Amino acid sequence: MHHRHQDRATRFSSNEVRLSSREWLGLMLVFMVLAALARPIWNGIEVFQPSPDYRIPYDSSEDYWPFERACREAADSNKTFVVGDSFIWGQYVSREETLSHYLNQGTGSEQFVNAGLDGAHPLALEGLLKHYCKALQDTEVILHLNLLWLSSSQADLQVGRGGRLNHPNLLPQIRPTIPGYEASVSERLGILAARHLPVLEWSRHVQSRYFDNADLQRWTLDHPYLNPLHQITPTLPPLESPLRGGAQPWSAEGRTQQRLPWVEIDTSLQWRGFQRLVATLQERGNRVFVLVGPLNEHMLESTSRAVYRGILGRVEYWLEDEGLAHFLPPVLPSELYADMSHPLAGGYALLAQDLLERMPS
Amino acid sequence: MLFHSWAFLLFFLLFYPVFLLLRRTRFKDLWLLFCSYVFYGWWNPLYLVLIAWSTMVDYTMVGLMAGSRRRGIWLSFSVVNNLALLGFFKYGGFVADNLNHFFSFAGISYALPSPDVLLPVGISFYVFQSLSYTIDFYRGRVEKEKSLVRYATFVSLFPQLVAGPVERAGNLLPQLRRRAAITREDVSDGLSLFLVGFFKKVALADYLALYVDRIYDVPEQFGGTALLFATFAFGWQIYFDFSGYTDMARGIGRMIGIRLMLNFNNPYLAKGLGDFWNRWHISLSSWFKDYLYIPLGGNRRGPVATYLNMALTMLISGLWHGAAWTFVIWGGLHALGRFATRELERTRFYRTRVPGLVKQMLVFAFVTFAWIFFRAASLDDALLIVTRIFSDGWTNPQFPVVMLLLIGFVWIYQFAMESRYRPLLRVTPVRIGLAVGMILFLALFSSGSSQPFIYFQF
Repeated sequence: MHHRHQDRATRFSSNEVRLSSREWLGLMLVFMVLAALARPIWNGIEVFQPSPDYRIPYDSSEDYWPFERACREAADSNKTFVVGDSFIWGQYVSREETLSHYLNQGTGSEQFVNAGLDGAHPLALEGLLKHYCKALQDTEVILHLNLLWLSSSQADLQVGRGGRLNHPNLLPQIRPTIPGYEASVSERLGILAARHLPVLEWSRHVQSRYFDNADLQRWTLDHPYLNPLHQITPTLPPLESPLRGGAQPWSAEGRTQQRLPWVEIDTSLQWRGFQRLVATLQERGNRVFVLVGPLNEHMLESTSRAVYRGILGRVEYWLEDEGLAHFLPPVLPSELYADMSHPLAGGYALLAQDLLERMPS
Repeated sequence: MLFHSWAFLLFFLLFYPVFLLLRRTRFKDLWLLFCSYVFYGWWNPLYLVLIAWSTMVDYTMVGLMAGSRRRGIWLSFSVVNNLALLGFFKYGGFVADNLNHFFSFAGISYALPSPDVLLPVGISFYVFQSLSYTIDFYRGRVEKEKSLVRYATFVSLFPQLVAGPVERAGNLLPQLRRRAAITREDVSDGLSLFLVGFFKKVALADYLALYVDRIYDVPEQFGGTALLFATFAFGWQIYFDFSGYTDMARGIGRMIGIRLMLNFNNPYLAKGLGDFWNRWHISLSSWFKDYLYIPLGGNRRGPVATYLNMALTMLISGLWHGAAWTFVIWGGLHALGRFATRELERTRFYRTRVPGLVKQMLVFAFVTFAWIFFRAASLDDALLIVTRIFSDGWTNPQFPVVMLLLIGFVWIYQFAMESRYRPLLRVTPVRIGLAVGMILFLALFSSGSSQPFIYFQF
């Protein structure tokens, strides 16, 4: 019996994939070089030519590779990045009806780049610009602050939401702690690794972009008899973003006024994230212009509106105290809102007009 | 903590340099024990109480056996303690449910409360490992381990703690006693084993699981062809999953100078059910053989007793895998399969005229059929799947060609491994080509989500 066990213990394996230490070293070196070159090589192969009103495709909101490329191109051509969540992206409008489009129209230029990302709350925006937009230095940045992210402890990530969070890969993974973000240690480490190993980010981009926003494995389940290699082409697949919902005023949708359980601004995680984001952009020499709201106050119940205005006042005080260029636009007419925070095309046009008057030339 | 997780990578990066520094000192075992407990406690720190209890009891019982003439009493205490742990945590709910069904059937208006306890990960593995030490000591086959720390390390050694191989004291304790001499070859071999295991788990098992789960979760929504393909896929999924874990465990073992036993030896090339069990989960099947089948009398008491012993061993082996009747049926099917192939192998015609490939296909088909009962969520589901597979006509199974190609490639590789073409697999370009292919596939096409191993639930 012991002899038999000894034999089993000393057998290498049931396969012959057995590399020597020299072969392992060689292999690791080759892969390290490949990993380092993956990004520049792929950027050279993959054609990325954003049209004037380009915006990150809605379904690819969590693929930060195009955002990084858009950021690099904007920085190289000294354009103004308009950063924010779906407010900037244009949730209910076509890409020719967004704020950046009307800003370009108003100035007769292609100066403004739509850098809105669906679901990008301030804590996510902080991570996005910190890790995926390092090229943005010494440029103009319009930073939108959507105070709706302070409208409840769930939105503020002070408590868990019970479902998947928006943009977990952009959140701080270790410090500061986000109570509403309940990822395992492994998930957090994986996200940190992807931030520092471009090959992992690249792999996610290729899988997300060429395999229907899934990965190769799940894609083959939906397309069992197709050759996955045929999916990968040098040109990014066109993913025109469909309109979200009906482009109707909120009141026409039968929505009613709401009472929102706003969080205290002093304890708000999203507000602190926004403050850190501003600091990061300033440290990089960017000239930051903050646009706050305008939230659809018509949809707020009176006590809720009063609390919101209190928060708005505190925000304005801080912006002035920091000497930041900013604009707190007046509330748009009720019929120009699609919901609590997103304007319709007319709202964006009006806002762009006001903004151009207020912005430093 | 899963081997294929970032947490494990961090854990290993912290563990390994310190281990290398301490490997020639008396602190080596203490460090291994500490890290093994951290590794195990990562799931749930309360699990540590159980493993520490099992360790302490068996260490004490062997100590008492060493100075006693009535060794059987202390052995019995160890056996009862280990089986009671297993019985309560793993089979408590199963026994209570079945008794309640019986009470209901008999018209007795009493229901036992079901012990609503969490099954500690890997309890079936470390309990068997610890038990083998007390039995082997009783039989005079191993020496008493003086060091409690070393014995606790033997029971909890992290590479093989939660899903085997179920090691024997005779193999592992002497290795722990030695000062670990780790060569460059150990490290490169360890990495090679780990890579293959990692690929099996992440690229193959988790991929196949997507198809299998989609169908087995709602079998009533699928036709016979899809159910057949899902069963085929599950046969490979569980092989890749479990043997992948073992490969990774053995790889980590090598890197710390410990050679864990071979646990899988291309089981789907087996030419008989007996041969299959000499290739599948070898450490467990040899455990059952040494500590159950042979003590029952093995094949020494005539054919009827032999088959009875075989049947009992397979039924208990089935129950070891899970507390449900589907597992018992699975064990029973394997017992029948063993009887059949054993009898067939006695005939000259089967031995000499039936081609090896046909035998391999027959065994594969039988084993795959039996997996239905292993994988199905309930007996009703299993029967539905069997009925549909054998009665429904052909429909499009939507089985990904990529999946089929990967399985086909592995199967051909294994056939080559056991043929005269084996030397071709050792050629440098083939070995390196395969390693490069696996790394590229993992880096580019793995889904990035860590699925737990199937055998953790046992």
